[in-house]
Amino acid sequence: MPRYRKRWQSFMEKNGITGFAPSDVGAVEKTYVWFADDGDIAASGSIAGNVLKYVAVCSKYKNGGSLFNEVVSHLVSEEASRGRFHLFVFTKPKYVNSFGYVGFKPLGQTDQAALLETGTPGIQDFLQQLPKFDSGITGAIVMNANPFTKGHRALVERASQECDHVYLFVVQAERSLFTFQERFALVKAGVKDLTNVVVVPGGEYMVSSATFPAYFLKSDQDIGQYQAKLDASIFLKSIAVPLNITRRYLGEEPNSKTTASYNQMLQAVLPPKVTVEIMSRKTFNGEVISATKVRQAITEGRQELIEQFLPVSTAEFVKAHFTELKNRISTEGK
Amino acid sequence: MEIKQTALAGTLESSDIQITLSQGNEGIQIDLDSSVEALYGPQIKKVITDTLAAYDIENAKVKAVDKGALDCVIKARTMAAAQRALGTVDKPNWEVL
Repeated sequence: MPRYRKRWQSFMEKNGITGFAPSDVGAVEKTYVWFADDGDIAASGSIAGNVLKYVAVCSKYKNGGSLFNEVVSHLVSEEASRGRFHLFVFTKPKYVNSFGYVGFKPLGQTDQAALLETGTPGIQDFLQQLPKFDSGITGAIVMNANPFTKGHRALVERASQECDHVYLFVVQAERSLFTFQERFALVKAGVKDLTNVVVVPGGEYMVSSATFPAYFLKSDQDIGQYQAKLDASIFLKSIAVPLNITRRYLGEEPNSKTTASYNQMLQAVLPPKVTVEIMSRKTFNGEVISATKVRQAITEGRQELIEQFLPVSTAEFVKAHFTELKNRISTEGK
Repeated sequence: MEIKQTALAGTLESSDIQITLSQGNEGIQIDLDSSVEALYGPQIKKVITDTLAAYDIENAKVKAVDKGALDCVIKARTMAAAQRALGTVDKPNWEVL
């Protein structure tokens, strides 16, 4: 790879892919390059986990799309040989059709970017395993709950009162202090008494920041915003519409800029099909309850805040695992 | 026969078909993508279903991306995917051939 790195990069740049941030290039496991008879690079594609990246075919060798099909085909078989049968690709809207011809289905699309998937288990399998509600008002909440606080609880309570059914999606990606299993169990325990709330894993369809490549956006664009927009459109098209969800509940975000702009994007994209309800944060003695502060308290060893911010179920877990959680923070930097 | 693992056979190149077989529990469910689906969809599905039946596979999810494959190709790719999915690659089913 190092030998061809320069040629590969200039080939990508010629084909409109201009971002080579370490986080994108570093995630690539393997890159395949197709050469033309004259030694020029004709096409290239890479794999990174279950995401196809840096797919480009030189217009000179397009040959009615047959080379593109060969590239995608090769990447799909390589993924299959690694045991991955459910694949994603992020691309520009104008290439949605090309990927459509080779079996990819769009999950969401904005004017800047689109996310498509192929293989099994896909979005249909994900939706199929969820309960369906045909009557009444159905609401939805998506949370990471790292960990589940009294603030989360207040939001769920409100949705539970205002809707007939509530889907509570817990983000499945493992990028948090608390593991998905821990977060999921604590959310379940925390809303056990609310019988119209179903707690479900978010699958691979919620908040996909880890896999979102910024490389096909110009560097001066606000990546977070486009990512949020794509995410919102995925939720609308692939989750809300098939599940008859007409309300999405969000917590107001006074402290984190990223989440605040994410909330704004949801408000811009989801209506009119889905109305967005934003709830102001629950406070304790005038202090806003947040999971970030809980994690800080764990780092600093302040046990009293834990009881103030957390429902009994979460507080018990945190107290029982206090040292372990503290160690995780210091060793894994979470 | 029960499908042990998800398996894939074939390519997305012209005149070929890519078949992905995975576990299912509602009979043979075929998700077909083909530019000639209107004309040959039923025939393609029949070849796949018949081939799986010869392996006694009663439940499976099949994803098929067709690029204009002939019946013999469809059959060959389905067989390869079936043997991989059943974990019987080293024991070809001569009856089906």
